[in-house]
Amino acid sequence: MDVVIADRLQFAFTIMFHYLFPITTMGLAPFVAAYTVKAARTGDPDTAAAASFWTKIFAINFAIGVVTGIPMEFQFGTNWAAFSDRSGSVIGQPLAMEGIYAFFLESVFLGVLLFGKRFFTPMVHAAAAILVFIGTWLSGFFIVVTDAWMQHPVGYVIAPNGRIEMRSLWAVLTNPFAIWQYTHVISAAILTGGFLVAGIGAYYLLSRRDEAFGRRFVRSGAIVAFIFSLLVVYPTGDRNAANVTEYQPIKLVAMEGLFESTHGAPLAIIGMPDVKNRALIDPILVPDVLSFLAYGNFNANVKGLNAYATELWPPVDLVYFGYHVMVGLGTILQGVALIAVALLWRKWLFETRWRWVLWLLMLAIPFPYIANEAGWVTAEVGRQPWIIYGLMKTAEGTSPTVVTSETIFTLLGFAGMYFLLGVLFLYLVLREIAAGPGEVAPEGDAYAGAAS
Amino acid sequence: MNAVGFAIIAFMLAAYVLLDGYDLGVATISPLVARSDAERATSMRIIGPFWNGNEVWLIAAGAVLFALFPRAYASSFSGFYLPLIVVLWLFMFRGIALELRGHFPSEIWHQFWDFCFSASSALLILVFGVAIGNLLRGVPLDANGYFQGTFAFLLNPYALLVGLFAIVTLAQHGAAFLWMRADGPPADRAKTLMKPLWIAAVLLYLLVTGVTFGMHGMGPDFGIVVVMAPISLASLMLMHMQTSRQSASGTFYSSCVFVVSLMVAAAGTLYPYLLPAFPASYGGISIYDSPPTALLTRILVIVAGLTLVIAYGTFAVRRMSGKVPAGSKIPVYRLEEEPVRPSVHEEESYVPLPADPPTKYLS
Repeated sequence: MDVVIADRLQFAFTIMFHYLFPITTMGLAPFVAAYTVKAARTGDPDTAAAASFWTKIFAINFAIGVVTGIPMEFQFGTNWAAFSDRSGSVIGQPLAMEGIYAFFLESVFLGVLLFGKRFFTPMVHAAAAILVFIGTWLSGFFIVVTDAWMQHPVGYVIAPNGRIEMRSLWAVLTNPFAIWQYTHVISAAILTGGFLVAGIGAYYLLSRRDEAFGRRFVRSGAIVAFIFSLLVVYPTGDRNAANVTEYQPIKLVAMEGLFESTHGAPLAIIGMPDVKNRALIDPILVPDVLSFLAYGNFNANVKGLNAYATELWPPVDLVYFGYHVMVGLGTILQGVALIAVALLWRKWLFETRWRWVLWLLMLAIPFPYIANEAGWVTAEVGRQPWIIYGLMKTAEGTSPTVVTSETIFTLLGFAGMYFLLGVLFLYLVLREIAAGPGEVAPEGDAYAGAAS
Repeated sequence: MNAVGFAIIAFMLAAYVLLDGYDLGVATISPLVARSDAERATSMRIIGPFWNGNEVWLIAAGAVLFALFPRAYASSFSGFYLPLIVVLWLFMFRGIALELRGHFPSEIWHQFWDFCFSASSALLILVFGVAIGNLLRGVPLDANGYFQGTFAFLLNPYALLVGLFAIVTLAQHGAAFLWMRADGPPADRAKTLMKPLWIAAVLLYLLVTGVTFGMHGMGPDFGIVVVMAPISLASLMLMHMQTSRQSASGTFYSSCVFVVSLMVAAAGTLYPYLLPAFPASYGGISIYDSPPTALLTRILVIVAGLTLVIAYGTFAVRRMSGKVPAGSKIPVYRLEEEPVRPSVHEEESYVPLPADPPTKYLS
């Protein structure tokens, strides 16, 4: 195996596993903060129980997120030394700021949230929940800023020795690519959080236990999921696609599987790209729509993949499917959220004849995760063959002293480790869900669950 | 400015060793001082609220190194490839052990995670010590500033000696912390452990300092190292006095001074290099290899953030300190259908927790 492929596989595997947990913490943090603050203000024991329940789920996700997040930062140095050496002056900075401004905030105040109930007043304790919430979102911001710079580098100069150096930190932090990518990612995370809360609420209602909590979770989860299923498309998804159109036109046509340059380019709903024969097999096309979405004109000319040299193509099939899985699932989830919200509005959702909607909500839980991951595959595989778009090729970025077999060995190690982590995670979360929000702490000590 | 960057990273690493050092130390001595199941649960509870925040110092220090001195970051992380990945796995094991031990009421389960907790922590200290030893000694950099840290090279006698010294120093640090925070027999056992650890620390300190001095001689920037030596020795003497006076917090704070003085001495020995070459013919990667662009803004942003962290970190930690009652464990909700079978040991040393004062929140 090629060393570049081994390094990319290891990064892709570790980041995709890791990302499952930050999606959940970014998506649940607003719920945890809202329940905790409300409990502190009203003193309502049910709200306090709901806050405690979601704090436990949050804490387990946070702990696994931390454990799997550390290898990400290390890997820039271990496997991508040439890239880090050349561009560390720029991309190291947001990563350092993530550690200092976000990660400390989350860790310290999660400690307060989990262990501090007996040491702090309820209001300070609730403030800790808000700070954890801010920390998770800031953390996501700095990570997206780092990625956005690799997608669309700004605020840098190239030194005579070839190194890429920071010219303006402000320009890097306000990268136009980052703003819409971040709002898109955050909307998708809250959408996921909403579906998780609603889905677990639906599970309680379907099993006819903790029904007051179940109704409460379904109500707040479904409303939040519906709002953000709209925001994830417009404006955030749309503006993000506009950035791709402007700065990464090859990625755009790979996402759509458009080989031939066309006036009035169609949007592919389904179909399979056949890269060898440069055609989209068995497609369902909506004429002219791609031209309109990309350029605001139904007749605009969209340059297809054939207009670019093959060396500049990303792996078309992965990008195409990543994008279509994301959009397809997003649309279906929007439909599910719409049904739930409409029934809530008519006050029908909790009637027996609409039980199948609760089934839909419960079974929907995994799909926002798949859509999120597919979105990242589109963004990152679509960036290839560049590690920094237009500046540096991925193949030039690896560590000169690390050989393929070393990476394969550590990749296998990570695979084993993460399998263990995954099993333990499922066991812990399912156990909390089975215990339910109605369960009271057997000991007087604060919130339960995780030690982190 | 480059020197300020170096000082920030040295400061963050010293903070890491000072803070996570006691977590690792408590875990390392836990098999010796916490004999029963319940005592071991309490020794985990003592570091429960803090270890995660403490660990962030290392992660953030790595990221600051990446930002300010990318060449040193790239070369050292790829050069130490396998040892670093092993460190990652050990970190994971420690985190999982803390996380999972309390979730299943079985002694076999507890014993397994207790072992993972102590073994991974002790190995982490050893690896960090070996890493510092190799930094002080230098690594075989090639003309491009890269190297391949083979195990045969890294595990040299000097580095292993520093690793051993690190274990003793942090075990002592952890014992002092446990003595300060624990109640009952584990605190007494930690206190008895102070003396042998202290003797070992003094001997190893003299040995490591002597060998390091012999290796480096009086370099141009040796001033700070010379200043640190009496401080290290004085803190060791102070620690001994505080232990004799039965003052746990006094012992812990003297240990803090000792640990910091060692880190400052190590940083002073390295300066201005981040990654010196071995053999020393070609100097190595120094702080001047860093691009100076926008360094002022970047350093200000980092310093401002760290000030904030220290402010709220101190607030949270001070409020959550104090003795942890015997019998406390990392809180876990248990299912009704999983009754806890208290072991013989547990019954012996179990003291019920004082009930929480009723608050408006709970009522």
